[in-house]
Amino acid sequence: MKRNDLLTPEGTRDLLFEECAAKREISERLTGLFESSGYSEVITPGLEFFDVFNGYVRDFPQEMMYKLVDGKNRLMVLRPDSTIPIARLCATRLRDEKLPLKLFYNQNIYMVNPKDSGRDDEISQCGIEILGGKSDAADFEALVLAAKALEMCDEDYRIEIGDMGIFAELMAEYECSVELAVNTRSWIETKNLPKLDEVYSSENIPETDKCFAEAFRALPRLFGGVEVLEKAKEVLHGEFFDKKLESLEQLYEDLSKVIPKEKIRVDLGLLSRKNYYTGIIFRGYVEGYGQPALSGGRYDRLLGDFGRDAGAVGFAVNVEAVARVLLQKSGERYKKHPNVIVWSEEPVLALKHCTELISAGYCAVNSVLGTIEETREYAKAHGIKRIDTAEIDGKIKSEEV
Amino acid sequence: MENRKLRIALTKGRIEEKAVSLLEEIGYDVTDLREKGRRLILSIPDEDIEVVLAKAADVITYVEHGVCDLGVVGKDTIMEHGGKFFEIADLNFGKCRFALAVKKGTDFFAGYGVKTVATKYPNVTRNFFEKKGIDVDIVKIEGSVELAPLVGLADGIVDIVETGTTLKENGLEVCEDVAYISARLIVNTVSLKLKQERIQEIIDLIEEKLK
Repeated sequence: MKRNDLLTPEGTRDLLFEECAAKREISERLTGLFESSGYSEVITPGLEFFDVFNGYVRDFPQEMMYKLVDGKNRLMVLRPDSTIPIARLCATRLRDEKLPLKLFYNQNIYMVNPKDSGRDDEISQCGIEILGGKSDAADFEALVLAAKALEMCDEDYRIEIGDMGIFAELMAEYECSVELAVNTRSWIETKNLPKLDEVYSSENIPETDKCFAEAFRALPRLFGGVEVLEKAKEVLHGEFFDKKLESLEQLYEDLSKVIPKEKIRVDLGLLSRKNYYTGIIFRGYVEGYGQPALSGGRYDRLLGDFGRDAGAVGFAVNVEAVARVLLQKSGERYKKHPNVIVWSEEPVLALKHCTELISAGYCAVNSVLGTIEETREYAKAHGIKRIDTAEIDGKIKSEEV
Repeated sequence: MENRKLRIALTKGRIEEKAVSLLEEIGYDVTDLREKGRRLILSIPDEDIEVVLAKAADVITYVEHGVCDLGVVGKDTIMEHGGKFFEIADLNFGKCRFALAVKKGTDFFAGYGVKTVATKYPNVTRNFFEKKGIDVDIVKIEGSVELAPLVGLADGIVDIVETGTTLKENGLEVCEDVAYISARLIVNTVSLKLKQERIQEIIDLIEEKLK
């Protein structure tokens, strides 16, 4: 049998040195931001029951979950998402806590990606959830925090807003098969304009459904600055949409008082495969990473699905992805070298001197090598500039490398 | 890494030729693309664009990972390979279709036995029959798929059909069309948002030409 003991599984990796430093810095900055904004930290189990992620509202594709069984032969999964367990938590152990609850987390999720796609199966996320509260106020806070979070990661960021409610309302009114509804969502999400133009061309659609066809074809094209919302009025008619677009405009206006306008984008074709999103959804992008670095949105049915009727909004940052971008841009910054290496024939003296140096603010490493020559070689290889020798008579001899 | 040039990935071969002509038609200087030698990264000088040549499936991979912003690739590869990207435009060249073909005069759907289908495109084939609710055994073939039904390995094939000549010469015929295929313009999901103006400009030029 082939042994796999020298490899890490596909989609995972060992993180080393500056990679760890960059990742830790990002998660410290983010958790610092969330904590100082009054959010409380939660950690949910890495292992959950399959049932938690399986239902109509929480329909995580089963082929994307890592599965195993527990001692009672029940199906378990490695947590593929943090929002669903936090909704469960809010409806169970936290059910007597008054809403709104503001929570943050810093934990990994796991998902099975297609073979050889080069995507991560283990993703470290740092995010928040606002459970309960007035929805437009909570949405606004979530978006501002998202923008602040992105700014802390990379100045060159964009935050983009869409709304699942628009598509949901169109589909609620438009009579079609479940299959066509699912396909249409996917075509809009992937901006598959040729397919939408073909399926919803004027020849294929009866006169009475023209307004839907026009809207489905327009949605993926409606992205850019705030002017998009104005354009949307040409294809989205009726009280529901007037209100929706008005509230999005208000949201944009409020945001632009806190975030530079050019950082805020709108995409009405932004949809999520996650069934639990009901209202606004948003994504954050940073230069140098080909996928969204942040994603989130409003989910008003998820808590109810666990038995506690309340709306919520939240987002997560892909910490490791952001860390990788930072490393590529300024990797040197994260390389840490000790300032001094201390060697002595007498281990007690070496450690004593180390302790003194450390309390004086140095990063001092104790040489556990047998000779001063070996210590010099080691210092050279590791970029340590100074060697201190603690001599038996208590004197310290310093040399530069 | 910051401010890298806009990068377009083209599928090598026939799609590449047509795509280069399209770029020329929208007013780009394609001299470097025509005199490429063995180079894989070429440039459109005045536009500050880099062009990358790659195999079809790799075009998708490069665009999906965001190392290329745009790509030109056949719908056949998109259907087989999948991935996360925007499929912005049908370029109207490289036209052909996926079809289910059988030995002339046979009825693929007759009887209740599970049929065997040979193909280079197992995902396309699986999706096609799944949609119909029909169980089939799929055999992946790397070379000329037409051989499989002739030597008795399969009851039918799912393959790309352009003119149908190869099928005819081997005593096969199309029994059902599976999908229409042509070259598509795909865009990385983040690039479209971060470089919207630049990319939209190219899309508009292309769409104008296609009208």
